[in-house]
Amino acid sequence: MDLFIEQVFNGIGNGVVYGSVALALVLIFRTTGVLNFAQGEMALFSTYISWKLTTEGMPVVGAIAVSMVIAFIAGAAIERTLIRPVESGRSPLNVVIVTLGLFLALNSLVQLFFGTDPQVMPSPFPSGSVDILSATVQKETIGLIVVLLLECLFLWFLLQRTRLGLKLRAVAANPESARLHGIRAGTMLMAGWALSAAIGALAGSLVAGERTGFDATLMQTILVYALAAAALGGFTSIWGAVICGLIVGIADALTIQYVDPLDGIEVVLPLGLIMVVLVVMPNGLFGRRTVERV
Amino acid sequence: MTTEQTGAAVGPAIGGAPVDTAAPLASGARPGLFPPVPRQVTVAKVIIGVVLSAAALYAPFYFEPTINRVLSQAIYIAIAAMGLNLLTGFTGQVSIGHGAFYGVGAFTSAILMIDYGWTFEVTILASVVINAVLGFLIGVPALRVRGLYLALVTLGLAVLFPRVAQKFVDGTGGVALLRPPRSDFSSLIDGLADDQWAYFLSLAIMVVLFILAWNLVRGRVGRAMIAVRDQEIAATTVGVNLAGTKVATFAISAAYAGVAGSLSVMIDRLADGTNPILYFQRSIEFLVAMTIGGAATMLGPAVGALVLVLLRRNTEDLIEGKEILAPALYGAALIAIVFVLPEGLVGGVNRLLARLGRRSSAKGRPPTRPIPDDSQ
Amino acid sequence: MRGPKFRIVAALLALALVGAACSGRDDDDTATDEDSGGEEAAGSSIDTADCVADPTAEIEGDEIKLVSSYPQSGATAAFSQIARGWKAYFQMVNEAGGVEIAGNNYTIVTEDKDDQYNPATTAQNIDELVGADGENAFATFSVVGTANNLAIRDQLGELCVPNLFAATGAPIMGSEDYPWTLGSSLSPYSLEGKAFADLLAEQNPEAKVAMLVQDDDFGTAYEEGFQAAIEGTDIEVVKVEKYATGAAEVSAQITSLAASGADAFFNGGTLLACPDALTKAAAAGWTPITWISATCTSKTLMGVAGQAGDGVYSYTNLKDPLNPDFDADPAMQEYREVVAQYQPEADLDNAIVGYGWTQAALLVQVLENAEAPTRLAVMESMHNFEASEEGVLLPGVTVHTGDGDNFLGEAYQTMQYEFEAAGARNHFVLIGTELTDVEGETLDLTPEDLING
Repeated sequence: MDLFIEQVFNGIGNGVVYGSVALALVLIFRTTGVLNFAQGEMALFSTYISWKLTTEGMPVVGAIAVSMVIAFIAGAAIERTLIRPVESGRSPLNVVIVTLGLFLALNSLVQLFFGTDPQVMPSPFPSGSVDILSATVQKETIGLIVVLLLECLFLWFLLQRTRLGLKLRAVAANPESARLHGIRAGTMLMAGWALSAAIGALAGSLVAGERTGFDATLMQTILVYALAAAALGGFTSIWGAVICGLIVGIADALTIQYVDPLDGIEVVLPLGLIMVVLVVMPNGLFGRRTVERV
Repeated sequence: MTTEQTGAAVGPAIGGAPVDTAAPLASGARPGLFPPVPRQVTVAKVIIGVVLSAAALYAPFYFEPTINRVLSQAIYIAIAAMGLNLLTGFTGQVSIGHGAFYGVGAFTSAILMIDYGWTFEVTILASVVINAVLGFLIGVPALRVRGLYLALVTLGLAVLFPRVAQKFVDGTGGVALLRPPRSDFSSLIDGLADDQWAYFLSLAIMVVLFILAWNLVRGRVGRAMIAVRDQEIAATTVGVNLAGTKVATFAISAAYAGVAGSLSVMIDRLADGTNPILYFQRSIEFLVAMTIGGAATMLGPAVGALVLVLLRRNTEDLIEGKEILAPALYGAALIAIVFVLPEGLVGGVNRLLARLGRRSSAKGRPPTRPIPDDSQ
Repeated sequence: MRGPKFRIVAALLALALVGAACSGRDDDDTATDEDSGGEEAAGSSIDTADCVADPTAEIEGDEIKLVSSYPQSGATAAFSQIARGWKAYFQMVNEAGGVEIAGNNYTIVTEDKDDQYNPATTAQNIDELVGADGENAFATFSVVGTANNLAIRDQLGELCVPNLFAATGAPIMGSEDYPWTLGSSLSPYSLEGKAFADLLAEQNPEAKVAMLVQDDDFGTAYEEGFQAAIEGTDIEVVKVEKYATGAAEVSAQITSLAASGADAFFNGGTLLACPDALTKAAAAGWTPITWISATCTSKTLMGVAGQAGDGVYSYTNLKDPLNPDFDADPAMQEYREVVAQYQPEADLDNAIVGYGWTQAALLVQVLENAEAPTRLAVMESMHNFEASEEGVLLPGVTVHTGDGDNFLGEAYQTMQYEFEAAGARNHFVLIGTELTDVEGETLDLTPEDLING
């Protein structure tokens, strides 16, 4: 039983990571309707900026804050220069191609600017562990959970309770209509990207801090699990993304412990999970049913 | 029978590039999907077609084996992209998982050759069958999953496949790499070197599959696919078998990807299970080839595949000492292409030709066909 | 829609069944290519009867061309540091007049391509670099990766082009079926099992061992090598956990291993999985006698592990640039000076640069030992090679091939990591002066199917 709880907490540790990235993915999808494949690499670039700042002597929290600001601006710039020209075009696939190109470019630039060696990112949370339910839980993990909850609250509040959030949602639902109401759709889209980039920067920096070490491959496996979590959650629910991140993480850890034949391919479990869930509930566990007009 | 220009009705409602407005041999006014085309455009297309075909046939005799191999790679990517085009371009179901079917095809051929001694050409057929069945099996539950979710579920397949291959494929030394001996692929025609034979075999298969796809698209099935893509619910009200169309297209596109995989074993001479991201990369390549070539055009995937392969090759060692930038240059090139030609290369060429056709028609000569509306 | 399609499928199925009845192609040995290889050369153990290109042709001109393919971009771009070591060495040799083979001096010319660790790309690169008839290069050198070398060995074997110093410790590089491919001074992975078993025999003869290995041939070499080495002893393996190739975190696996009650730990992780295993074990309060993979002993990975790496064991046959004991060593100083001069971007403290440097030094020896400037002579030299005190090899280490033994790196010295403080010059300390020489034993220790497939 102890072992089980131990593994559940291992799973939560990873699940929080997946949930954080899934959050950024869901946010950008809800505000702009785009599935951003480059989300992971954007977060990676910001993470390296945070890291670089800490090596120059900046305290961790400050470094992450600066990096988030840079990401905010960069996210808006990317939307304006790279995404906007193809977004309104005829094919949504064009936007996918641009995000893929961005993925490749960012990963490569990271290696160019920051090198290929693995690095260590300091964490803003205290080290050490606490005992919960006879399992050892890292303080780091608890810190991440707290940050994630705060992010969810903030985003929920922003989207549901502020004018800005209303505008963001309006533009995402129907850009034409929104324009007719006087909302500057372009600005809102930029805001959506900027916000997601900043959230991604936070997620990446904290994840790298939680890990023993990180390199340019940090986000690649995480992205797959985060996409799985977001899909499982329905891509429209912020809380759904986080909860499903936890589910995916826990399922992964338990598979490693208890299902030996799947050693090395335990990724089959979360993926299989999505496939099963989506077949039964096509809008994900927490998604909203979309009504389509003919 | 309507007389309005249906080009507008089939416009870019829910994404997808406009339908190819003229195949090289379009003849006669066909109402509906293929509005009539000025003779000049048809002539131009025929000439282009002849020149390209001649180049394609002469190429392997002119180039060295290594370049032939590169061209052959373009061909198998083109085949997979063609299949994906049927599913994604015409039927609107986005899949980022066709690399998995490609992988199944590759390992099918490799295993049948190494463990059971089959002849290579016959393994291609086995690959078709197995992948069609697999495509069907995945297509059925995929009916429940729409749009974005379908893309992610298929992504899961592409991520899963190499892990499974790594675990269960046992090559020499325990490495999950299968290499049928070179002699298994030797040329069946005297006078043709092995690499030339590989090229021609692939080319022949591509042409056959192209004709098959073309026939499919021109017929009732094609119209059903486009209807499904643009307005699913409306399509069902006019009697389109939604499930049947989607599943069948899934199966067919999977089979195409499977053929590509089999051919890759001949051209690259290996089936690789050691690389966790390879089949995801392949999935993306098929999608990219289709898009930059021109989704929902017939020649788009082939053109896109060629451009993709050449781009990849040329960005590799472009900047001496900064090889690490190769993926960045490649990514930048992709973005540039999509910016400049949002309908893809073939789409852009079509548009250009149509515009030229209109202009020359407007020069006072009586048009030989009714002039299509500006629906591009 | 059903009718015609169904018929086509049925016809295809029938054809397939017919085709299955046919066996493979008629064996048609390279009839279209020139078959110029002579009879088995007198006194040679390499059969040259089927060589597509003439292995006894002498090098034309005064340049010897070596080509390579290795990752220079993408996830494994860090491996490109190996090349910095050997490029610097060759540049030094050229400055001094070139390499002397059978009385003539040759300038070493190198060319390489990026393969992003993808075996299909490696095969393509080598095809281009070597040429369809082997006319573009003399030999291939230091190709990185097990699958990558497997992808080229039959092509090069047919051409009779030497593939020298393959940068992988996979036992399959010593296969007898492919005499034209040989590995490097990197010890075969299966020997690590023996080294750890010997260590445990001394420290804890009844140890219960937990193993963490990658889920591929690399992990299998570790697992089976260790199992073979502990046969007949009181050491037993109580749990093996595998992790997905390339994974960067292994907390669940470590929790599982720690709960097994093992008091010894074989950490076969590589890249980021290795330091992560160490930190997770420390965090779990599990302190077994730990062995880490020799691929993990680099400055960067141990730097990531930090305190958690204190006290772990591994082995090496090279001098560590981080070890202050070698600061005054002339070979080490030469390495530092020359590499800094010719390859200023290289990280001198990174052991793989020293590895590359050493392979170049060994290759130059192989070339100089060859009886003639031909591929056959060089390959024979490679198969009957013995050297020590080359590059930054540890004193007393002899690399040796011959008499059917194709593994160069069968001598090693165990070492233990000492962590003093973050930012300090933490390094591995060699244990005593005991060099273990297990010459010829790799064949005994490694299961047959891992070597000859």
